[in-house]
Amino acid sequence: MHELSLAELLLPPVLALAEEHGARVTLVVVQAGELQAIVPDSLRLGFASLAAGTAAEGAELVVEIVPVTARCRRCGGEFVVQEHVYVCPACGVADVETTGGTDLVLTRVELED
Amino acid sequence: MRVDVVHNVLKLNDALAAQIRSRLHERGIFTLNLISAPGSGKTTLLERTLAHFGERLGQAVIVGDLATSRDAERLAQFARCVQINTDGGCHLDAAMVANALDTLDLDGVEVLYIENVGNLVCPVGFDLGHDAKVGVISVTEGEDKVAKYPRLWREADVVLLNKIDLLPYVPFDRDRFYADLRDINGTVPVIEVAAAKGEGLEAWFAWVAERAQKANGE
Repeated sequence: MHELSLAELLLPPVLALAEEHGARVTLVVVQAGELQAIVPDSLRLGFASLAAGTAAEGAELVVEIVPVTARCRRCGGEFVVQEHVYVCPACGVADVETTGGTDLVLTRVELED
Repeated sequence: MRVDVVHNVLKLNDALAAQIRSRLHERGIFTLNLISAPGSGKTTLLERTLAHFGERLGQAVIVGDLATSRDAERLAQFARCVQINTDGGCHLDAAMVANALDTLDLDGVEVLYIENVGNLVCPVGFDLGHDAKVGVISVTEGEDKVAKYPRLWREADVVLLNKIDLLPYVPFDRDRFYADLRDINGTVPVIEVAAAKGEGLEAWFAWVAERAQKANGE
């Protein structure tokens, strides 16, 4: 249930854009790294609850899941992590660095014209 | 109207965590963020650790729970301790830790332990300004918690396998545990302990002491 905390952090930048443009928000798009372990419905519910009575009330929230990627520290090759196996598919080394799929990023807001 | 942005939602938390980290580093304090499921033995581990180092190491604790100050009461006999009650919140965030630090006397502190809310999911994504994440799992939880909640084990700097004395009595597949853990994090050290009995803790104490000494020396 960290989705509610994340919704709390997501709402202010959305509202800042609404205020900047003087318009109501209709759509919000976020990219959620797989490692954020976000349940999209929970994030939507949290966001909708917090957005009530603001310029983002009723806005649709789209959650795009970003797969986890990693880089091998030996060969430098980057790969998509499947089934949480952090082993380089090229050289079989487990010494790898996570390079993507950890963040929650607000990428797009649509406002009423 | 469409507005494209790149706004990291956790930016505020991360920025605050960075401030905490530099504040603690200025004092040479090494900070651990202990994460596990409820009941895996974090508080018992801390009791043993605080008692072991005693006066030889300046220690302080921030402990997070949904409710009660029971953990702080247990730990306060060994070291300075602040309890955070999250009132239903499932994890600690940097703002809570910053507030707790304001009430904690940091003079002489060399190691700060932050005992997170018992939860294998939510605490993992929130930077608290710590230097290392400690993942604790006990054999009574079952070995599948590693594969089912991978991010903690992926990001842990050390893993403690607790209640190892109960291994004969519970269906914990140790080989599977290590196989899953090695898939997720091939380089993390694992220390097997029975914290309540005080067994196997020397390796953990050595890890803490070494990392603390390194941090204090920098």
